Amino acid sequence: MDCFLSVVYCNGFRQWTTDNGQRSVDFITFLQLIISGLAMGAIYALVALGFVLIYNAVGIVNFAQGEFIMIPAFFGITALVTWYLPVPVAYSLVLAAMVVFGLVFELIAYYPLRNRPFLPVVISTIGASILLKNLAQNIWGAIPLRFPGLFETGTLNLGGLRIGLQHLLILGVTLILLILQYLLFEKTLLGKKMQATAQDKQTARLMGIPINKMIALTFIYSALLGGVAALLVAPILNVTKDMGGPIALKAFSSSIIGGFGSIPGAILGGLFVGVIEAIAGKYYSAYTDGVAFFVLIAVLLFRPQGIFGERIAEKA
Amino acid sequence: MLKVKDIETYYGSIQALKGISLEVNEGEVVTLLGSNGAGKSTTLKTISGLLRPVRGTIEFMGERIDHLKPEVIVQKGIAHVPEGRKIFPGLTVRDNLMLGASGRVKLSKAQIAEEAEQMLELFPALKPFADKLGWTLSGGQQQMLAIARGLMARPKLLLLDEPSLGLAPVLVQEVFHIIRDINTRGTTILLVEQNAFMALKVAHRGYVMETGKIVLHDLATNLLNNEQVKRAYLGTTKAARRQVVG
Repeated sequence: MDCFLSVVYCNGFRQWTTDNGQRSVDFITFLQLIISGLAMGAIYALVALGFVLIYNAVGIVNFAQGEFIMIPAFFGITALVTWYLPVPVAYSLVLAAMVVFGLVFELIAYYPLRNRPFLPVVISTIGASILLKNLAQNIWGAIPLRFPGLFETGTLNLGGLRIGLQHLLILGVTLILLILQYLLFEKTLLGKKMQATAQDKQTARLMGIPINKMIALTFIYSALLGGVAALLVAPILNVTKDMGGPIALKAFSSSIIGGFGSIPGAILGGLFVGVIEAIAGKYYSAYTDGVAFFVLIAVLLFRPQGIFGERIAEKA
Repeated sequence: MLKVKDIETYYGSIQALKGISLEVNEGEVVTLLGSNGAGKSTTLKTISGLLRPVRGTIEFMGERIDHLKPEVIVQKGIAHVPEGRKIFPGLTVRDNLMLGASGRVKLSKAQIAEEAEQMLELFPALKPFADKLGWTLSGGQQQMLAIARGLMARPKLLLLDEPSLGLAPVLVQEVFHIIRDINTRGTTILLVEQNAFMALKVAHRGYVMETGKIVLHDLATNLLNNEQVKRAYLGTTKAARRQVVG
């Protein structure tokens, strides 16, 4: 018992102690880690949702999902830094551009291959990813750029608990977005049609549902999620052509940890990875980026279907 | 109402339909009989636009439809209830019903919801499960839902593919009762069925298919007494027929 936390609380909710009385972790720091982890996890969740929605709609993993964050981040820099547009106008413009981007991406990378097996489509998304990164380097250069955030340096002090305003913004916007998404998918006929298309395209067509429109809408929505994630996370990262890769990989891991194909799984998987990563980063900072994949391997070993996934059993 | 002429349909390089011609007149129940692999379901899929014929024509209410997409064909008045029910498993019974009216683009959500409620009245067995997810229903309930969802399109012609497949005998009777009832209310039906005896009992006319071709066409009453049909699909003994009827 000497090494285990006994969760004995002392010093006015300021620290936890171990049985042997050693100070182990400052509770306030721990809470701050949780909140910053949840904020980063919210970004992973948004990107993971993009993965899952496209996978459910067309049965492929979009390997250009990382570029769905990188491109709007650069769009934002152009709008805010180059054109000096006011923040609301710039943000609206970025999101509008992502609507067009999502549609163009679908029309070029997916639509011509829609009747092919999944592999050519996956390769097409890999090709699109390489093209977009090269395009970004040609337009915006190879030097990392700074994205002017709304409150990247501001913090909120709650009795010693200091929370970054940007982190609060990320959590607040993600929560609102998830509520809106719930309303879209569960309360509108359009959302039901998108769900029906994801569940059974052939039957959806027999019902009169224009599935190509539904699939295009899914790509647009996924690009919009990337756009929102980019506007939220770019101020706390450097904007480079490769910025989307690590986020997308962790988001992909999150969606598998949650159960690939499951929307709640993508959200909770993202939050879980974000928190685990933040805690691990505090004590083993050299391994921060590896933690998500360590957790992924552990989940694949012990619960391959993920937290919310359904077990796929082979029939005898 | 429906004129199918010389259609040929392929799955890749395999020819599934080898020049099918058939007609369905308004108000009729017409059945397509045949063994597994004869091309019955392929015929329905070709009519509803899921498969495109390489040759031949399909006319519905005087208009060529063989080049149209399924989502357009349903708007013209043909609803296809596919084999295996194909209920959307993650959506509720009510949602499944509402989606059945997706082709009727002029209807508001409120109007569709109201019609879904009316449909639940017509299918009282579904009503207690209105807010349950599709996958939780039994096979019989799923079949009722599939037919009800097809009717939400307000079709002039309903294509039914194996509606009694896998159902308990008492449910088979109920499904055929519903088919007769739908027809009495004015909907024309093209029915694909393995249960030949029941299908011919409810149908006005029937076509018999073998390996992608129509080999026999007659009034249902004549087909019921046709020796060839009896041998191939109905069984010749009373015991065999009882088995078919369930």
